Amino acid sequence: MKLLDTMGDAIKQGRVPARIFNDPEVWELEKTKLFGKVWSFLGHESEIPQPGDYVTRYIADNNVILARDEHGEIKANLNLCRHRGNQICKAEMGNSSHFRCSYHGWVYKNSGELVGVPFLKEGYDGLLDRRKFGLVGIRADSYEGLIFGTLDPQAPTLEEYLGGFQFYLDIYLKPGPNGVEVYGPPDRWAAETDWKICAENFSGDGYHTPVAHQFGFALGYFPSSGTTHNLGWAVHIPDKGHAIGLGHTPGLPPFVGYPDALVRHMKSTLSEGQQELFAKTRTAVGTVFPNLSFLIQPFSPIPDEKGSTVRFCTMRLWHPTGAGKMEMYSWCLVPRDAEPEYKERAYEAYTLAFGQAGTFEQDDFENWTNLTRQVGTSLGRELEFPYQMGMDLTPLTDFPGPGVAVDRYVTENNFRNQWATWLNYVGAE
Amino acid sequence: MMSTLTIGVELAIQRFLAEECLALDEKRYRDWLAMFAEDGRYEVPVRVTREKDAEWDLSPKSRIFDDTKKTLEIRVRRLETDFAWAEQPPSRTRHHLSNIIADPGEDPGTYLVRANCLIYRSRGDQPTYDLVSAQRRDLIREDGDSFLFVHRWAAIDQSTVGSRNLSFFI
Repeated sequence: MKLLDTMGDAIKQGRVPARIFNDPEVWELEKTKLFGKVWSFLGHESEIPQPGDYVTRYIADNNVILARDEHGEIKANLNLCRHRGNQICKAEMGNSSHFRCSYHGWVYKNSGELVGVPFLKEGYDGLLDRRKFGLVGIRADSYEGLIFGTLDPQAPTLEEYLGGFQFYLDIYLKPGPNGVEVYGPPDRWAAETDWKICAENFSGDGYHTPVAHQFGFALGYFPSSGTTHNLGWAVHIPDKGHAIGLGHTPGLPPFVGYPDALVRHMKSTLSEGQQELFAKTRTAVGTVFPNLSFLIQPFSPIPDEKGSTVRFCTMRLWHPTGAGKMEMYSWCLVPRDAEPEYKERAYEAYTLAFGQAGTFEQDDFENWTNLTRQVGTSLGRELEFPYQMGMDLTPLTDFPGPGVAVDRYVTENNFRNQWATWLNYVGAE
Repeated sequence: MMSTLTIGVELAIQRFLAEECLALDEKRYRDWLAMFAEDGRYEVPVRVTREKDAEWDLSPKSRIFDDTKKTLEIRVRRLETDFAWAEQPPSRTRHHLSNIIADPGEDPGTYLVRANCLIYRSRGDQPTYDLVSAQRRDLIREDGDSFLFVHRWAAIDQSTVGSRNLSFFI
């Protein structure tokens, strides 16, 4: 694709072609060259705690059953009967030791082995080798409860793929000795929005907050003001695409919003470098390349209400369904070690701010949907956008975490690395 | 089954529900808020596609809306600013109610009202629209010559909601 030949140089000069954000040709390439190669998020271990528990998820257009088998092992398999391709599991979640196809009745264990074939003797004369027709297995691995799958048998390990970003993921995943759990099933909705603009925004778009969420300043939600909003750090892992923005407001208590009992535990769960950085982080907004994002934010549902501040955490998967089309999965993660009452309050804050009807969420999808439509137009698609913020910034040499860090919250360093990484996949021979 | 309510009460309840729709569709959010009791709750559970025999398909924990009157007021205050971009310009919504069945509630002067609700939403100059179909189960309480919502419970029929955001009320 011609566009991709020149994109590498454009990014180096701080420009990204508009067209990548809504283009059928790009989507066709993404399906195989990107989502066929990367580690894609499938689910959180707390969604399938018991043997037999399963959820169904997607890697690009491939439907995957993520199950905990009868031995407690996590297994990912394509949700497709090997006989004629029927979808064998039509539910989004449940508990089952086996899946039976409703077309000709082939039966699979939740781990993927084919164990039942009607008319095996009378129809196949006993010649069908059941071992050859198990479900198509998807290579899966996990980090701190996050389960990922890859369609590429040659892909590097998940550990290598994350490439040090684990250091930053821990701000979301280790708020206590026992980590996090999903509060409940995710919100799901569909939008005429390109997944990439969402993933970019959550890689640390501190720039949009004071405008896109201006109502939040008007209502008195934000502890940061115009003068402090640029304080913080933008960090990315070179060539991996993962990135995070860490907003900092001077004077806030360490780990503001968590219950004291959890804060006391941070020493045992986080490294010294993590403690130093996370204690002074107000907002952490990050993306695991390509399409899994997180946001943690101290939030008081009623602005200025004393003692009501919680630190809610949302995890979201921007699942692409076509050019300029996506479906959203949005979870709320809560600390396992917190009291139920705290978990409920954190969840309420999440729904008010970042669930499907969340006041902040609403404005993001309004902007992103309109943007997606505009860049798909005949003139819009020919444009390039400026991505030059922070091009001359010198990376910090004494930053406590891995990757390339700069001393600024409003910058585009992370995005250039994100789209350069994307190009490495999509533009590969 | 025959209704145990008088025709007058039935009509008054139907009128109350229709007035709520009108307040929402005419963006009279303060009028709408005034229809909720101080202890009012507003709840829209997350739906999950499950097998027929599953214990639940409306999550007992996850909520799309999980509001008290206080947080509803925050939502209204937001809509009153000039920066609620999701509703700038405002969506045209039309709430259509049908199959209204009102029954006496457990406490005197309260009623449990079930209804179907179909919401049409048009945004901007796009010819496309969102349709959100929901099952409603409201608890209302007599208040003077009208009623107050004590608990709005509405469950959307889609498990993947076909709307880019829910910047309108269900």
